Amino acid sequence: MSSASTTRPNGVALFILPSALLFALFFFLPIGLMALMSALTGNPVVMPKVAFTTRHYARIVNDPYYLEVIWTTIRIGLVTTLVALAIGYPLAHWMARIKSRTGHALLLMAVLAPMLTGIVVRTFAWMTLLSDKGVINQTLMSLGLIAQPLKLMYTETGIVIGLVHIYVPFMVLTLTGVIGRIDERLEQAAENLGASPLRAFLEVTLPLSLPGILAGSLLVFALAISAYVTPILLGGFQIMTLPILIYQQISANFNVGFAAALGIVLLVISLMLVIAYNRALGLVSGQRELQ
Amino acid sequence: MQTAASNSAALAASRQAASARAAAAAWPYGRTLYLVLNIAILVFLLAPIAIVAVFALNPTPFIQFPPVGVSLRWFEKFFASRDFMHALGFSLEVAVLTTVSATMLGACAALALARGNLPGTRLIVATMLSPLMLPAILTGLALFQTYVLLDVGRPTWGLVGGHTLVTLPYVVRTTLAVLHNFDTRLEEAARNLGASPLRTFFEVTLPLIKPGVIAGAIFAFIVSFDQFPVSLFLVSPGNETLPVTLFNYLKFDLDGTIGAASVVSIVLAFVVVIGLDRTVGLRSYVKL
Repeated sequence: MSSASTTRPNGVALFILPSALLFALFFFLPIGLMALMSALTGNPVVMPKVAFTTRHYARIVNDPYYLEVIWTTIRIGLVTTLVALAIGYPLAHWMARIKSRTGHALLLMAVLAPMLTGIVVRTFAWMTLLSDKGVINQTLMSLGLIAQPLKLMYTETGIVIGLVHIYVPFMVLTLTGVIGRIDERLEQAAENLGASPLRAFLEVTLPLSLPGILAGSLLVFALAISAYVTPILLGGFQIMTLPILIYQQISANFNVGFAAALGIVLLVISLMLVIAYNRALGLVSGQRELQ
Repeated sequence: MQTAASNSAALAASRQAASARAAAAAWPYGRTLYLVLNIAILVFLLAPIAIVAVFALNPTPFIQFPPVGVSLRWFEKFFASRDFMHALGFSLEVAVLTTVSATMLGACAALALARGNLPGTRLIVATMLSPLMLPAILTGLALFQTYVLLDVGRPTWGLVGGHTLVTLPYVVRTTLAVLHNFDTRLEEAARNLGASPLRTFFEVTLPLIKPGVIAGAIFAFIVSFDQFPVSLFLVSPGNETLPVTLFNYLKFDLDGTIGAASVVSIVLAFVVVIGLDRTVGLRSYVKL
């Protein structure tokens, strides 16, 4: 590893140590213990005899219920990502191309404001909007458009709406950075050559922003599959996702080994996403070096 | 419907060039549609926050729309509630401790990464930023299991440690951003003029990286104050942070107290952000 670097670490390098210690004690050790617990028959502190086992993983793989939970989690994540991309892209494009500084600052505030409002608060907001007596149903009913309240809460649709609202700012900020780096003159050139603005966008800007689309989508997907508050409150404890199942195994069943195995499954999925995200952002910076 | 139609028309356009060019040119409302769509998205982003305030002021003890009046009873209930006030105090305590530790550790780490000639810097940075993307609920679960195995109970330092881990990436990132745009010749000049390394650090380096460190500290404070998944596992009953208390309340009650509590935490966040914008400027620090 050190053979690759041409210069030796100097004294300033020692400043990394407090953070390294924090990561060792509060990150690597706990994750390692979680991996260990996922492969043990019981808690080694309480039980004198514990052995290694694969039964927690076998339980996940062999029981269709747990596979269904994993699939529900991934499905909600995928739909959330697609919707967040569809509504995040236009806003990101506007933010990247707006000329006025004040306009940019206002848009940035509008995107950051939801981000700075806690997840629990935003989920509460969506409960007041989506419930049977909530804003959307009451408005539609008083307008005479519907006779019965629409079933928006306690459905996957409700969960997806809440999750999109919570994670779309991450999509917007990722995309804004990438679109902002695309030279606007490329679009102008296409338009001068006779392409409509829409066609210039579809054939020039959109392909060039693909790495940003990939990075933003991976980020939102990773965040959406690990969400807990929104699926549990907007799903009304009726829709089971991986994070909900993990917490339930701890709080209701105190099955630490099984919770750890589920945690490792979620960790492996997330790690693959993190690596792919870094690759995607690497593509963006690679492009930048080429320009 | 119209958007979908124009989109599919545009898709066809990209394949059949000549005929589609005429079709696209015959669509003069593109710019208007673009603005209307974006304003609709902004409404989607901001309306839920406004709605919280409506329910905080509506006097009925259940969700009712349209609101029937204006009252401050839910704010009174929130500020009179010992549970909520204790949770608010505990959240602020944890957020302050977290901000101090994350800022000190993160600024030092960023300095080491930018100036220390460390091998494998890219890998270290990726590792230090990974708590941002890895599920925080796993950090909570893993720490919970560790504290159980080590039999340390659920101490405040354990919660602050977990919060520091998930807020550290913000400080590292904002500080690194400043350090990368930093003219190292300023430090060299100070050294050449006879300043000791320590004096150079305190009189040249530190003042220059201060905006990045402050921005990181403010992010750390807000993230810690709103943090939920790590806290969920690490708080002890009777000593909960505000988001956990709100969550437990929400499971059974949907009255305006939650709205009032929400407004209080939103106002707090906004005060902090406006402070951030006034002191250091937001623009350069929020790029992901």
